[in-house]
Amino acid sequence: MSVALQPPAAGALRARDEWYARLRLILRSRTFLVGFVILLFWVCCALFGEAVVPYDPYADDVLNSLLPPSAEHWFGTDQLGRDVFSRVIVGARDILTVAPLATLVGTVLGTALGLVMGYFRGLVDEAVSRLVDALLALPTVIVALLALVALGPSTLTVILVIGFTFAPIIARTVRASVLAERELDYVAAARLRREGALHIMFIEILPNVLGPILVESTVRLGYAIFAVATLSFIGFGIQPPSPDWGLSISANYGLISGGFWWTVLFDGLAIASLVVAVNLVADGIAGALSD
Amino acid sequence: MIGFLAKRAGLSLVTLWLLSVIVFAGAQVLPGNLGRAMLGPFADQRAVDQLNHEMGTDRPLLVQYGDWIAGFLTGDLGQSYAYRAPVEEFLLPALANSAKLALVAFLLVVPLGILGGIVAALKVNRPLDRAIMVFGLSATIVPEFVSGIVLILVFGVWLQWLPLSATWPTGADFGTQLYHLLLPSIPLVLILFGYIARMARAGMVEALDADYTRTAVLKGLSRRTVIWRHVLRNALLPTISVIATQTAYLIGGLVVIEVLFHYQGIGSLIYTAANKKDFPTLQAGVLVVGIVFALASLAADLLYALLNPRIRLGSA
Amino acid sequence: MNINFKLLDALRRGRSEHENHLIDGLVAGRVSRREFMRHGSVLGLSLPFLGSIAAAVGLPAAISRPARAAAGGTIRLAQTVPAASIDPVKIADGGGITTLSQVAETLVLSGADLAAQPVLAESWSPNQDGSVWTFKLRRGVKFHNGKEMTADDVVASIDRLADPDNGSNALSVFTGMLQKGATRKVDDHTVEFHLDVANGNFPYALSTDNYNAVILPADYAGDFESQMIGTGPFKLEKYAAKVGASFVRNEAYWGGPAPADRIEIGYYNDYQPQILALQGGQVDVIQQIPVLQGVGLLNDPNVEIISTPSTAHQQVHMRVDLDPFKDKRVRRAIALCLDRPALVKGLMKGKALLGNDTPFASAYPSTDPTVAQREKNIAEAKQLMEAAGLAGGFETTLTTEKYLEIPDFAVLIQNAVKEIGGKININLLDQGAYYGDAVYGNSPWLDSDMGITDYGHRGVPNVFLSAPLKSDGTWNSAHFHNAEYDRLVTSYIAALDLESQRENAGKIQRLLLDESPLIIAYFYDFLTATRKGVTGVQPTAMGQLLLGKASL
Repeated sequence: MSVALQPPAAGALRARDEWYARLRLILRSRTFLVGFVILLFWVCCALFGEAVVPYDPYADDVLNSLLPPSAEHWFGTDQLGRDVFSRVIVGARDILTVAPLATLVGTVLGTALGLVMGYFRGLVDEAVSRLVDALLALPTVIVALLALVALGPSTLTVILVIGFTFAPIIARTVRASVLAERELDYVAAARLRREGALHIMFIEILPNVLGPILVESTVRLGYAIFAVATLSFIGFGIQPPSPDWGLSISANYGLISGGFWWTVLFDGLAIASLVVAVNLVADGIAGALSD
Repeated sequence: MIGFLAKRAGLSLVTLWLLSVIVFAGAQVLPGNLGRAMLGPFADQRAVDQLNHEMGTDRPLLVQYGDWIAGFLTGDLGQSYAYRAPVEEFLLPALANSAKLALVAFLLVVPLGILGGIVAALKVNRPLDRAIMVFGLSATIVPEFVSGIVLILVFGVWLQWLPLSATWPTGADFGTQLYHLLLPSIPLVLILFGYIARMARAGMVEALDADYTRTAVLKGLSRRTVIWRHVLRNALLPTISVIATQTAYLIGGLVVIEVLFHYQGIGSLIYTAANKKDFPTLQAGVLVVGIVFALASLAADLLYALLNPRIRLGSA
Repeated sequence: MNINFKLLDALRRGRSEHENHLIDGLVAGRVSRREFMRHGSVLGLSLPFLGSIAAAVGLPAAISRPARAAAGGTIRLAQTVPAASIDPVKIADGGGITTLSQVAETLVLSGADLAAQPVLAESWSPNQDGSVWTFKLRRGVKFHNGKEMTADDVVASIDRLADPDNGSNALSVFTGMLQKGATRKVDDHTVEFHLDVANGNFPYALSTDNYNAVILPADYAGDFESQMIGTGPFKLEKYAAKVGASFVRNEAYWGGPAPADRIEIGYYNDYQPQILALQGGQVDVIQQIPVLQGVGLLNDPNVEIISTPSTAHQQVHMRVDLDPFKDKRVRRAIALCLDRPALVKGLMKGKALLGNDTPFASAYPSTDPTVAQREKNIAEAKQLMEAAGLAGGFETTLTTEKYLEIPDFAVLIQNAVKEIGGKININLLDQGAYYGDAVYGNSPWLDSDMGITDYGHRGVPNVFLSAPLKSDGTWNSAHFHNAEYDRLVTSYIAALDLESQRENAGKIQRLLLDESPLIIAYFYDFLTATRKGVTGVQPTAMGQLLLGKASL
């Protein structure tokens, strides 16, 4: 029991040093920084965008519809005469609300599930694993689509459905970590102290598996954005009249053949930049925490 | 090995059965009136009730489920609400179309991905390696419809090198079909490239570092021969299983790609069925997708077993 | 005007009272030449005869140029996938109607200028009060199986449609007008229609407007798809459900053999693939392109857009029995928020005509042109809202369908009412979900507080006036019950001469503007796209595509 023999103060100091070291490592990674800056930009757009943009993103001006980019309208106008630039900036808001919330739901659920599966093993583990396998037999988008067709798409159902489809994946990671942790001494010690299962799972084991959970959930955030954007494109995600990027693309991609490229290109680049940014951030964190 | 495969096949069946229950239950949640949907909004209510009775939608759920499964196994996939015709009439041709598109994507991404991984491994930790990995990672996470739109704008609208629709004129020859399928397959290639390259790279790095490689080099074999004969086979083993598991992502991407490129595949079928609340088609389509995936997993396991002597010779 | 009274007198002899009354109107200048031609055709007067009268009254004749057609070739069409099998009795969608129009024909054609033109019927005339119409059939018309068309075939075809047991869409036209068994053979080439009530516009009920009313052999027993026996300029070659169909020239066609050898129809899931196919040279004609989707084609030099004026429109309804629409001042205020010329120019790219919140489109001759066009007037709207006690604003939900430009129109309405403090929440449904079961209580279309519904073209406003607005109307989504209105509509429908029709119309228009249960902001053109060089294509705003004179 090497940890118990250390004076507590020294142990705490060491842990704090370790976290600072990791943080410095993360910040030194160039890819992380690039991702972080882009992410920060979009978060600011989501929070303050509507106050800053030159035009009301919802105001129509039908007589000026489908104008190409110009000095008055940097990204041109759509078929109702709305300013595309304003809509792209404000469009960050819905996806940066829905995706993180869905990831949160999935993380909380998945962690709980993974702890239970990994700690209890046996029949519970087997049965849930089979169910999880069945759900994972289909791509997330199709599972989500099936659920949303039955329940009807709304912001809340989208968050819950995506969260539920992520939970099994996170549960798997957590389960694997728990399987390793449960053999360690501090768990045995807790059992000897006659602590209940809930206490052991959530108070003892959970803090020690936070690292993998954090990594996994940042990666999942990237996939959540991917899933929400895709569902919005096929009409079962964020609903109109939101200026959401996926929704705008689905409304306008029919105009491409007529040469009206500005109605979709900028929304597409926005999605791509956000999703890559989150992934770079996740990659950076994973790299730093995996040592 | 037979034992291993039997166990895997058995597990697949259980998974598929669970999937069918989930799909069927999901479709029953919403009150849908099959008779009304088939006869249309202006038909007489008596006729609707009669049709509902004929089709047995008023029977207990368990009986309906049993009938559905039995029908499915014998090739009767139900009646489509939207098209008022048996589902299998258009589901099977759609599946064939999707298979063509997926095949083109596979034939492009497997060599490209493996090549990318090998190059990255040979220049490990140098700028080229980093570049390939970052590119692969980014390409994977960008949604297919976004890369699809950019590709359409660049190659379809501005350069006009490739057609905007994946659907070729009826009776077109193989070359024309390929011409139409090229652009839509690229987003799928981009999605898978990163994974395959990463697995190939990992396998290569491990193999390059292994004892048998060092032995072969010490024995005097040229680096190229070493790579070709020893390293590659060991590197590719994990890559094969990755390819199979990535089939799931491929199918998810098909929905978006087929809609964007106006292609009559199973993806756009599921999309149309979802929009029109055509549950029989949606159920059948999703289950078929699940079956395809299960088969792909099984095939991958088989391939893996064949290539891995440990399993082939039954020591596992 | 140089009136040749002697000629006029000679032509007048033997005409019925109604016909003479119409001629009087032309002479006195109460009726314009165009209206005379159109209404005269409804009464059954032949075009040449009408031309003679017009000439006798000193009006210049219209110059018609016969198209010089080149023979041969295959014309390839694009249409959306028919929703169901091709069954003339049940068909209801564009894809099906276009396919049907190659092989089968109606008695009358409701043409581009809204005139009723003879097809399988040669002429027709009403009795004194318009309750019995006598149609003379064209002779020498042969079905594709060689059999000659006679009155028996007509009686069987129309009876089949009027029979409630067959559940045809034609019932929406025939119910209350023509019953099963009321179609009677007089002789081999004459048929009498005994109507339930007098109807001055009856020929339209047997025209392409009533797309199910094609004439089939009397012994038709179902399963149309296998052979598609009709009288049309093309015969079925092959039909593959959901994929396409092909037809060959009918050499024995009564109108002379068509210039084209073959017709090929390809079915598409959506408008975009059709447009891509046209641009890629894979099809020659797209039967219908909506303005929004076709906006890229409008400026394409390789594409010709045929604009058929139509009375199709998107009808906005407000439930007059629910808040906040109970007070008609609120309804008027909302109607006054819309900038209609901007809608026509910006949303519809100029391919529409202004609507004045009544089914009386300016294209109809019976429309009273003295009724003032409603315009955007926020000041007046605010006054009305204040008078109604809703100066603080209101909130409601607009439920509608994802079809053509309706979602965009909904957003524009949502924005427009913001100026009077209105907050509209939009609920967009798939088209099938919006129609639901099409019965009160089970249909968002008929139950919603506020909604937008697509209405297809009709050659006369009768259907528009009845089903959505009469107290017993089956499509009355506004739940509008007004006894005075019902009375006026009955008068209008029974009226046989143009002037009394117009008089009734004026009263109806003014009543509807006052009550404003509906907003009809524009009537949009029907757009057909062809590759440059294709000529003689005659589309109808209902979905038929007449290619008897078309060539590449």
